[in-house]
Amino acid sequence: MEQPVQTETWKARSLEELVRILHRIFAEDKVSVEEVQALMESYESNPEEWLQYTRNLVDNGNGKFNLMILCWGEGHGSSIHDHTDSHCFMKILQGNLKETLFEWPEKKGNGEMTKKSERVLRENQCAYINDSIGLHRVENISHTESAVSLHLYSPPFDSCNTFDQRTGHKHKVKMTFYSQFGERTLC
Amino acid sequence: LPAGLSQWFPALEVLDVSGTGLAELGAELLALPRLHTLLAKNNRLGGPGSLPKGLGQASLGRSLRVLNLSGNRFAEVPPALLGLRGLQSLSLGGNRLHGIPPDIQELRSLEFLYLGGNFITSIPPELANLPSLSYLVLCDNKIQSIPPQLAQLHSLRSLSLHNNLLTYLPREILNLVHLEELSLRGNPLVVRFVRDLTYNPPSLQELAGRTIKTRNVPYARSDLPENLVRYLSLASNCPNPKCGGVYFDSCVRQIKFVDFCGKYRLPLMHYLCSPECSSPCSSASQSSTSQSESDSEDEASVAARRMQKVLLG
Repeated sequence: MEQPVQTETWKARSLEELVRILHRIFAEDKVSVEEVQALMESYESNPEEWLQYTRNLVDNGNGKFNLMILCWGEGHGSSIHDHTDSHCFMKILQGNLKETLFEWPEKKGNGEMTKKSERVLRENQCAYINDSIGLHRVENISHTESAVSLHLYSPPFDSCNTFDQRTGHKHKVKMTFYSQFGERTLC
Repeated sequence: LPAGLSQWFPALEVLDVSGTGLAELGAELLALPRLHTLLAKNNRLGGPGSLPKGLGQASLGRSLRVLNLSGNRFAEVPPALLGLRGLQSLSLGGNRLHGIPPDIQELRSLEFLYLGGNFITSIPPELANLPSLSYLVLCDNKIQSIPPQLAQLHSLRSLSLHNNLLTYLPREILNLVHLEELSLRGNPLVVRFVRDLTYNPPSLQELAGRTIKTRNVPYARSDLPENLVRYLSLASNCPNPKCGGVYFDSCVRQIKFVDFCGKYRLPLMHYLCSPECSSPCSSASQSSTSQSESDSEDEASVAARRMQKVLLG
């Protein structure tokens, strides 16, 4: 992705419209990160539109991107992970998620990984990350509310590395979907 | 709660009074015979009299299935609720609990228990007497050790221990055969836990015992000292159906850690009778993770791989 000459300011009035606009943006050869991030933020989360998709692949972007919804129970968090050379956008649809950024461990990593920063993302905010920015851990730190997030990965990927915070050692993992497009599939 | 509640809505099954600022739930609750779900998160409950007396003796004691009191101000588990024998799901997350009463074992039907985000320092062994407990959340507390009796929770599928003060885990925890999720991050233990398990090869006695068993070396009671005869009788079969091996002390079972981007499963530790058994055991579950990863690995890297895997907690 590089910065094109002009960037549009989009307003997605529904999830369906968001997907349609994403298809248009990704049909081009060059896509602007800022444009996608602003588009994702512009969509005001409406649970009626996405409740059917939790833990699902929403759209496979004609192979250009994956759009999926993840559900985070109270106290649930992810491992520290990378994004396999892809761009990753994460928009909060419900609740709050804490994102902690980490430096890449040294080649011969054998010490505690270095925290760069942390922040709490609120409803409708959209975060962006790629491997050159760093690694992150995402957590729902609430003990009373669950959280839901919308993720866009471009290009799509189905495996990545998870990292051990204490040593920096990494391990490749495969990602599986619970279902696709709102219907259950075996995986 | 309004005084006429049970007269207006006698058939009420689900009541959600979350975020209403309530400081107490009154006796009106006791007259709702069909109530099975009560949600009262984010209120000001916690003082004496927060819950009505006689909660267990009323019909609610048998009918209530789900109770969510998270985000309140309870400094102890209210004794009144221990009489809810039909309760399947209890959440007291984000309160001010400093401990768990041993009488928690009276909640015989409990399957889901959320106690994350409190100030709990220890776990009573009586917690293990809950026969149906499947999900136990103890994250974000001040717990320093896990009682080995917890391994008696045969139905346990998910155990959340992250962000505590654990420096070790009892080895009995490996007996939780149905455990699918275990979170351990944010504890001082993690590296030591892995090191103990990684560098714990079978003893010479164990290796000799395995050989005798797998090769059917004949022996009579008079051939061996009594203690070794007894030892040989304790051989267990490797859970790997493709392996004919046995083990004595040096075996553990597969535990999966789910701690990635939501609910993706990743196999974490292969507990088997020997490094040769690494691949087939992981198919003992219904997960779809590919086997090729483990097949291509040689023995030397199995130990290193364990360290990486366990730590994802």
